[in-house]
Amino acid sequence: MAELDNTIHQPVRLQIMSSLVALDAGEEIEFVYLRNLLELTDGNLGAHLAKLEEAGYVKVKKTFVARKPRTFITATGKGRDAFEEHIVALRQIIGGSQK
Amino acid sequence: MNVTREDAVQSLAQVEEVTMKTKQALASAYAGPFLILWGFIWIVAYLGTQYFPVWANAIWGILSLFGAVGTVFISKRRYSQGPARKSHSARQFMLRTVLFWPLVFVYACVWLNIVKPNNGLEVNAFLVTVIMFAYVVMGLWFDSWIMTALGLVVTAFTLVGFFLVPPANYCLWMAVTAGGSLLGTGLFMKLWWR
Repeated sequence: MAELDNTIHQPVRLQIMSSLVALDAGEEIEFVYLRNLLELTDGNLGAHLAKLEEAGYVKVKKTFVARKPRTFITATGKGRDAFEEHIVALRQIIGGSQK
Repeated sequence: MNVTREDAVQSLAQVEEVTMKTKQALASAYAGPFLILWGFIWIVAYLGTQYFPVWANAIWGILSLFGAVGTVFISKRRYSQGPARKSHSARQFMLRTVLFWPLVFVYACVWLNIVKPNNGLEVNAFLVTVIMFAYVVMGLWFDSWIMTALGLVVTAFTLVGFFLVPPANYCLWMAVTAGGSLLGTGLFMKLWWR
C-alpha cells in the first residue's frame, strides 16, 4: 500500500514537484521560469523549495550564466520516487489503477 | 494524513494540468522559434519562387543560409539562456540530435544524386518529404506528438501539391500549406503554450 507524502501533498509543493518530474531525469529548470510558469511569487516559491530541499526531494543550484546569477532546480531521484508513490497513493484513494 | 476522495481527485487533476503545462511551455520555448523562423523562410522562398522563378536558386540559397545562421543563433541562445538545462548525459543526447540534421542533409544530397529528379518541382517535393520524415522521426524520438503530426500533415500537403495541384501553382500551394503549417504551429505554441 503506497503512502501519501506530507511534504509533497501541500498544493504548491505538489505543483512544483509535478513540474520538475515532468522534465527528463537530471534536467534542471530555471527559478524565474518556474516561478512564472506556476504563477508564484519569489518568496513563496523559495520557501516551498526550501522545504522540498530539506526533504532531499529537489536540488537547488546557484550559478552564473553569461555573468548573470541564475538558479536552477532539479528533482532528485529520491524526490521522483516519493512523488511517484504519492501519486499511487492518491490513485488508491480514488480507487483507480496504480499507474 | 486525512485525504478525502475529492481531495485526491483534485490533486491528481492539478498534477496532470501542471505536467502538461510544463511540457508544453518547454516545447514552445525550444521548438517554437525554429518553427516560426523556418515557416517564415518557406513562405517567403515559395512566394519568391512563384513570382520570380528566374531567381529561385538565389532566393532559396540566401534564405536557407539565413535560416541556418538563425538556427545556430537560436540554438546557442536557448542553450545558454534557455529555461531548462540538461544533465551531462542529456547534453550528450542533445549533441546527437544536433548532428542529426546535418546527417539528414548529407543523406538527402546522396539520394538526390542517386535518384536524379527531372525538375525543380521534383527536387523540392523530394527535399520537403525528406525533411518532414526527419520531423516525424524526431517527434517519435522525443515523444512529441506535435512534431510527428506536423511532419505527417506537411508531407500530405506536399503529396497533394505534387500530384494534384497544377505545377504552375505548386509554389503558391506550398507557401500557404507547408510554410503556413510551420509558421502557424510555431505561433500557436508561442501564444498558447507559454
